[in-house]
Amino acid sequence: MELTRVYHFSAAHRLENPALTAEDNARRYGMCARPHGHNYYLEVTMRGEPDPITGMMIDLGRVDDVVQVAVLDRVDHRSLEDVPQLAGVITTGESLAQAFWGVLAPALPAGALARVTVVETAKNRFEYAGEER
Amino acid sequence: MIAYSTRRFAFSAGHHYRVEGWSLERNEGVFGRLTVPHGHNYTLDVTVRGPIDPETGMVIDLGEVKAVVGETIIDRFDHADLNADPAFRSRVPTTENIAIVVWDLLLAKLGDERLWQVRVWEDPTLYVDYRGGAR
Repeated sequence: MELTRVYHFSAAHRLENPALTAEDNARRYGMCARPHGHNYYLEVTMRGEPDPITGMMIDLGRVDDVVQVAVLDRVDHRSLEDVPQLAGVITTGESLAQAFWGVLAPALPAGALARVTVVETAKNRFEYAGEER
Repeated sequence: MIAYSTRRFAFSAGHHYRVEGWSLERNEGVFGRLTVPHGHNYTLDVTVRGPIDPETGMVIDLGEVKAVVGETIIDRFDHADLNADPAFRSRVPTTENIAIVVWDLLLAKLGDERLWQVRVWEDPTLYVDYRGGAR
């Protein structure tokens, strides 16, 4: 069984590889190289089985707290390029999903995290499920 | 070639979380405000799978899915108190357990060859996917 919680944050970003010139970045990333922002959705999917007594797979209040502190407080209404935890990350949706996995997996109960999905716009959706998947 | 078809349904139902045999204090300690009767507008996505019938071009007649889910799930749980339903007599009506109950009821009608997944949304921020198996 999988349980998914949907969170929301708004942030600014731009796609830029610091090793490239401004011209090369503009060529590679097009208008995404310009500073802009999105209303992001972050979907955190956990796997497990419901407790036979409580019917709950995981304490959602605890998950909410973890996601709030580990991700949302750090990125909501900020420029993603200024977030220390994202230093060195080119802030594409797929790289954000991987980075958020990196902070959420160790903060949640072992083996609970199944997938992190970053929804950048209604047209772009990025999923990351760990190294081995 | 296997294809998957999903049909969306909606039902509104009341519930509260309480373990029979626990004291009020213990229930409130574990479930907090969820012990207070309240309700949700649930969304249910039912996914069926199978080969595409060359004659009809369909995996399954979604009209049949609509009829089965309507009679089995929606008629039973829409505008109902989930805690009063026999299916939840010994189960807290969490989203997880609702997914299990819906799966079991639909499996009996659609069969495991055709029923692939049920997704129960409690609200736009929480959903549970269940495809049968360990629990």
